[in-house]
Amino acid sequence: MNEESVLESASVHGHRSSLIATAVGIIVALFFVVLVVSSPEDRESATSPLLGNPAPVVKSTTLDDKQFELSRRRGSWVMFNFFNSTCVPCRQEHPELVAFHAAQATAEPPTELYSIINDDSDNAVRAFFEANDGDWTKVRDDDGSIAVAFGVAKVPETWIIDPNGYVRLRFIGAVTKGLLDEKLAELQAAFEGM
Amino acid sequence: MERSRSSRLKSWPMWMLMGVVTVCLLAIGAGRDGGPLTQQERIDSITKRLACPTCDGESVFVSQASAAVNIKNEVARQVATGQRDDEEIVAFIEERFGGRVLLVPRATGFDSLVWVLPVTVLVCSVAGLAATFRRWRREQGLVPSDDDRALVARLLAEDPEDNDEVPR
Repeated sequence: MNEESVLESASVHGHRSSLIATAVGIIVALFFVVLVVSSPEDRESATSPLLGNPAPVVKSTTLDDKQFELSRRRGSWVMFNFFNSTCVPCRQEHPELVAFHAAQATAEPPTELYSIINDDSDNAVRAFFEANDGDWTKVRDDDGSIAVAFGVAKVPETWIIDPNGYVRLRFIGAVTKGLLDEKLAELQAAFEGM
Repeated sequence: MERSRSSRLKSWPMWMLMGVVTVCLLAIGAGRDGGPLTQQERIDSITKRLACPTCDGESVFVSQASAAVNIKNEVARQVATGQRDDEEIVAFIEERFGGRVLLVPRATGFDSLVWVLPVTVLVCSVAGLAATFRRWRREQGLVPSDDDRALVARLLAEDPEDNDEVPR
């Protein structure tokens, strides 16, 4: 092996090493891009496979022991608010819901608001509403079937169902009256144009 | 050299046999039917495959969080009605809560990378190591030619402070 061949061999090895290093760098960069772009939490926060599809069957009882069936609310805009009296964001958004509900008395078309009680006792919910106002129907979900049917893991969550019984919107986290008014107006305008 | 090649060739059937036996045992183990499951066993086995959506790294089976308990109740309801098999129940929960609820990712779509990548990396690593070891062995077997010796001697002569011995 002469000097030239030694140098040539060293050059080939160096070239190969830099190629491997570049390839590894590209793979790591691709992983990084995939991690940044995928961001599953954000993607799932606003979406649900239920959107645009018929709402799940909901049959339960209300806090004043009456039967509740979502299918019997056809023809009305329905809003479900998944709620727990000990959850801080639920308590924070409550005044917004009270204001929204009050405004629905004169709204055209009005939206029916229902609180879906999530992992909470009747007495705690009654005490909360007596102290904080909120004269709308509260629906029990003792076995969690309504929460699972809608894919609700944490409260508060708010869902809007159109008069045909199709799920139209999902809000994760606390809502405001302004946000609800704006989104409902958009939905109702689109619904009337259908 | 000839002898080592011949002994390598002789050991091949044994390796092949071991490989076949391993594959057969794995196939038997994987396809083994443990008999009919009770409803509770089905509920336990399904909830062990589901992740609690509000906790870190806990299965629905273990977790006592409200969301996990709700899912457990739903699984129990669906098992009791008998209208869905285990895969369909898992698919139902996944559809509602998203892919994050699966403790064992699916082997389709983007999730399949979780299964494919480690195997690919393993195969590439083994191949790379094998190639490197072969190259090292080949290089070790090289006997320096007269030109090599002359080159080393000349380089050493150019740098008298280098006292390393010239390999013979």
